[in-house]
Amino acid sequence: MPPHDHHHHGRKGPPRKGPPRHHHHVPSSAITAFVDRPRIDALLAPWVPDAADRAFVVRCILGEGPAHHRGANFVLLALLGLLVEREGRAPGADPASVAVPLRLPPHLAEAREEEDAYPLAMPTRPIERLAARGTREFEAMVDCLTDGPPQHALANAAMLALLDALLAGDPPRGPER
Amino acid sequence: MTAGRLARLEQAFRVACGELGHCAAAWLFVREVAEALGDAGVEGLRDELGRSYPVLDAVARRWFEGHRAPHVQPEGVVAACAGAARVLVVGLEAAHLDALVPLLPPDVRLGLVRSGSLEADWERVLANFGGRVEGADLGDFQRWAGARSALLTFAYGVHDGQAHVSPAWVRVSGPDVRAQFRALIAWDVLRAPTYVHPRWLVAVPLEDFSHVVGP
Repeated sequence: MPPHDHHHHGRKGPPRKGPPRHHHHVPSSAITAFVDRPRIDALLAPWVPDAADRAFVVRCILGEGPAHHRGANFVLLALLGLLVEREGRAPGADPASVAVPLRLPPHLAEAREEEDAYPLAMPTRPIERLAARGTREFEAMVDCLTDGPPQHALANAAMLALLDALLAGDPPRGPER
Repeated sequence: MTAGRLARLEQAFRVACGELGHCAAAWLFVREVAEALGDAGVEGLRDELGRSYPVLDAVARRWFEGHRAPHVQPEGVVAACAGAARVLVVGLEAAHLDALVPLLPPDVRLGLVRSGSLEADWERVLANFGGRVEGADLGDFQRWAGARSALLTFAYGVHDGQAHVSPAWVRVSGPDVRAQFRALIAWDVLRAPTYVHPRWLVAVPLEDFSHVVGP
């Protein structure tokens, strides 16, 4: 088979311009092979110090939901972790962190005395760079990041925690547009 | 053992399975039959009921291997439940729960999902725990979910990357629920693979659990 022929699918004429298209899905075992749970567990330790709590969070991010989310979560968190390490930024708690709530069926959630939350809170300081705190826009951004199934919401919270560490050393700024 | 006696025994054994659990009922019957009729009686019990009740078959085999009681060591489960404020049990094994319940801190809420393959008088089952264990139903068990909640079930043999569990576990542990409980615990109560096809049970991968206690 000539080089790149698998991208053509029988199409005649000159090779397509631009980057090669990615048509083929890898087997899920290939995703399982690269998802390194201990690496992300160690990365999140400053934000979730209790080992059992952390195991729960890491399972939700890397062990539940569709395989492509697990893999994507690992890649993005590991890369952000490399940046935090390279910049030598120390993770710090954001007093304005918000809880990531457990999403129970509404009729069951209503019956409970208080809303339960995952043991990883989401820093909101980085969002101030996009919208002023207290505005409808800011609240909507927080809502988007903490909503949905936990493989989204907790991964978002973990990424915000790492972004917060990366941005913490910079002078505080308002929305950058 | 005569056919008539066995028929009556099967009825009683079935009720016991529903209200004590397959493993607890099997050990109870194997020991009682052994006391009354010796090893020949256990062999007869296994021959007559083993194909229908694979856990009984496995327990009878354990008996002939020299075991005289179920393996009940709840310490590993207590450790897996550490930090939990709520523990919800799916499936029933009375001897194992009897051992576990007193070891959990009194402020830990304990629940039992009232669902099984066999009919059971759940009021009677729960009464055995003197009010310490509450009932939960398939329709509302997620009230027990939380970042400090554990979901516990019993496994009947853990081997080849699989565990055999009550079908209720499959009903309960959907993708939504899995991320609502901090710990998903399997407690191997049989400690041996079943020799005959384990009807009543379903095989699930061990990856379904955050903790596997026993093997």
